[in-house]
Amino acid sequence: MYIIIAGCGKIGANLVKKLSNEGHDVVVIDPNEESFSQLENGTNCLTVTGMSIDEDVLKSAGIEHADALCAVTSDDNVNIMTAQIAKQLYHVPHVVTRCYDPDKDEVLRQMGLCTICPTMLTVDRIGTLLEQVEE
Amino acid sequence: MRIIIVGGGNVGYYLVKTLMAEKHHIMLIDNNRARCERVENAFGGSYVEVTHGDGTSANCLRDAGIYHAEAFIAVTGQDQNNLVSCQLAKDYFGVKRTIARVKNPKNIRVFEQLGVDSVISSTARIAGSIDQELDWADVNTLLAKQATHVRVREALVDPDSPYRGKQLGAIGLPKGMILVCLVRDGEAIIPDGETKLMEDDNVVILGSENDLPGVIAKIRGEAR
Repeated sequence: MYIIIAGCGKIGANLVKKLSNEGHDVVVIDPNEESFSQLENGTNCLTVTGMSIDEDVLKSAGIEHADALCAVTSDDNVNIMTAQIAKQLYHVPHVVTRCYDPDKDEVLRQMGLCTICPTMLTVDRIGTLLEQVEE
Repeated sequence: MRIIIVGGGNVGYYLVKTLMAEKHHIMLIDNNRARCERVENAFGGSYVEVTHGDGTSANCLRDAGIYHAEAFIAVTGQDQNNLVSCQLAKDYFGVKRTIARVKNPKNIRVFEQLGVDSVISSTARIAGSIDQELDWADVNTLLAKQATHVRVREALVDPDSPYRGKQLGAIGLPKGMILVCLVRDGEAIIPDGETKLMEDDNVVILGSENDLPGVIAKIRGEAR
């Protein structure tokens, strides 16, 4: 698959590593060129410097023929806008959006976006671990 | 009309000022406490209320009374926040009319396709006017048809003008008058309250038919 990752933070960089190791073609976008230093040496991917809410930046990352896009910047609203441009304007088949705010996450699901909420994943996991301790 | 405005920077501030004069009920939302206080202190009262919070959060919009709003305007300086605010207002709360400001002119099309009713880019408008070397006569014909009392004029700042060397914020232009742009040494500048008017600046100004002649005369140094 041809996959675009928006945001080269901890999650973005690790996602790039995993996906390129699995043999996918990966392009990663970040407004800050220094962020790309988080990519491990020898990681096989392309980098594009720019804001992922800018159509020109998405085009130079090859959005017109992307199979998937993951919006994982640290700003929920940037992720939401990036995901909608990909999904509704460029009809990218698989779009995943990271959203920290659980309330917003719920609204986004109702609006038809596929989301991951790290906050609730962490809360749920800790809850499960504590239950196991009690048992 | 009940109107929610998200973003209390300069655009939001003057938008509140303009709309309250027309007796609209306004709720301003901003996540910066200082900006909230500035609007509250200047305009707070029966027509203007202020909520300190995140205008892209459904809970905050609910607290601000979005179910009663007939229009929703997002004018923060960040395109992504304006989009999310307007989409929540329209798709989730069912507000009839949503208006967003964009910084990047290319986002006009993006916002329209993602469901925002009206999208405004001052960059695009001003750039357009300058590119085409717009003929003010045509603009005024158009304005005369659609907004009876509003006109656009151009004037050169004279060495004798009382405005020369002053910041726009200190000049005290009549209500509703906007200095749209000024051309200095062949370069177009989009002014804010701190921009100083200099000799030989070419000023493009928008305002009511009645107030314009007085201001133009002062810019040209023809009246004191």
